[in-house]
Amino acid sequence: MESIISTRGLTKKYNSFTSVNKLSINIKRGTIYGFLGPNGAGKSTTMKMLLGLTKPTSGKFRIDGKKMPEDRIEILREIGSFIESPSYYPNLTGRENLDIIRSILGLKKKDVEEVLELVGLSEFGDRLVKKYSLGMKQRLGLAGALIGKPPILILDEPTNGLDPAGIHEIRNLIKRLPKMYDCTIMISSHLLSEIELIADDIGILNHGRLLFEGSMEELKRTAKAQGIKDDNLEEMFLSMVNVDNYERMQRAVL
Amino acid sequence: MIGLELKKEKRTGVTLVLFITGILGALYVLLNYSIRGDSLLAMPMKPMDILLTQLYGMIMVLNVFALIVATSLVYSMEYSGAAIKKMYILPISMCKVYMSKFLIIISMFLVSVVIQNTALLWIGKTELSKGEFEIVTLIAYTVYTFLTSLPVLSFMLMIALIFENMWVVLGVGVAGFLSGLALATSKTELLLIHPFIVMFKPATAMTSNVNVNTIIIALIETIAFLILGLVISQNKRID
Repeated sequence: MESIISTRGLTKKYNSFTSVNKLSINIKRGTIYGFLGPNGAGKSTTMKMLLGLTKPTSGKFRIDGKKMPEDRIEILREIGSFIESPSYYPNLTGRENLDIIRSILGLKKKDVEEVLELVGLSEFGDRLVKKYSLGMKQRLGLAGALIGKPPILILDEPTNGLDPAGIHEIRNLIKRLPKMYDCTIMISSHLLSEIELIADDIGILNHGRLLFEGSMEELKRTAKAQGIKDDNLEEMFLSMVNVDNYERMQRAVL
Repeated sequence: MIGLELKKEKRTGVTLVLFITGILGALYVLLNYSIRGDSLLAMPMKPMDILLTQLYGMIMVLNVFALIVATSLVYSMEYSGAAIKKMYILPISMCKVYMSKFLIIISMFLVSVVIQNTALLWIGKTELSKGEFEIVTLIAYTVYTFLTSLPVLSFMLMIALIFENMWVVLGVGVAGFLSGLALATSKTELLLIHPFIVMFKPATAMTSNVNVNTIIIALIETIAFLILGLVISQNKRID
């Protein structure tokens, strides 16, 4: 299947600290790609590089055949994104915030109502965002990413701050999106339990390095081969991370 | 693009601050003249010079702080909810965003200056003796004071873009005002590189004559800070 996002040797260094280390990933069109890793693994930094928020130190990537920064505007026109925490104008209502995004994307007025409905914020649309709860801000951030049905969605831990019911609701929504909107989703999380319920493919990142990339089935096969029960993928994930951490420590000692 | 920026600025008070400054400036002019009019006109100066230079000092102080506050607000709304991060990942030119903010503030500041000078026009027409009021001098002085204020506007907008903390921006503005005030009467031409000193020039002069050199310096500084701001806005990284 054709890759809609592909990176080659993508690296980001902050002085002597390497946040993302020669990352090469492939995200297939029309799939949900779970980007997994412990806190500080480099997931957000990778997503920021894909969106042009952070300049890579080295390496390259293509999104739907286009390159950053040359095709920045064209790339961003195709991507709906939600990075780390929701971004909003606190002086505006939820509806007004989405209307700003709608104006920039040149969408119709009804798109705002549609997306408010989709994330369950319709009745709070006229409330100032500074009076929103964290969960409501999170939903607004998600609405800002979904508005206009973009062909690519980049979502960085979108269920942070949501209550269990909200997590369930948003997870189900994300799962339905590729069929509803014919889109590709890259979603990050530090919980495999969260990702395994929705993702087709996953990439596991630790200290900026890609430890595994493949389908859920391949991950299960790998787990089985290593003697880990395939119904306990969380253990598989932790084991991969721990082995990598151990090897890093060994290298550091040497 | 300007329409979009105006939508974003709703409830921030950016345009209101500048409009109120215009009204306050006009009220100050009228009140001051009604109280001190006779003693002002008794000064050994041309009536038009008295009308323009003796009342401009306080107006200028109002304008400086209005520009500091307006430029701070226009970017603090972008930073307070991290909205600017969203702007950077939308298909929009951040240069155009910056330019729109600049144009909105400059337009509202022009409205404010016109309101203030309308009060001077009214005093000139009604209070000065026949033949003493010169409309051309008033217009020239209005343009002069407007243009010499632009470096502060341009500089402060750039500062507001650079610093995410609004208090830092306000601090830079106050420091600029105080240092400008302290050095305003200096004869050293090099000090005109300080945008606040350029704005203070008409207020420290005893005549309403327009100083072309000061205008040229003001325009160069305005354009230089504007270009610098545009470059920074395009290359700023939001982490």
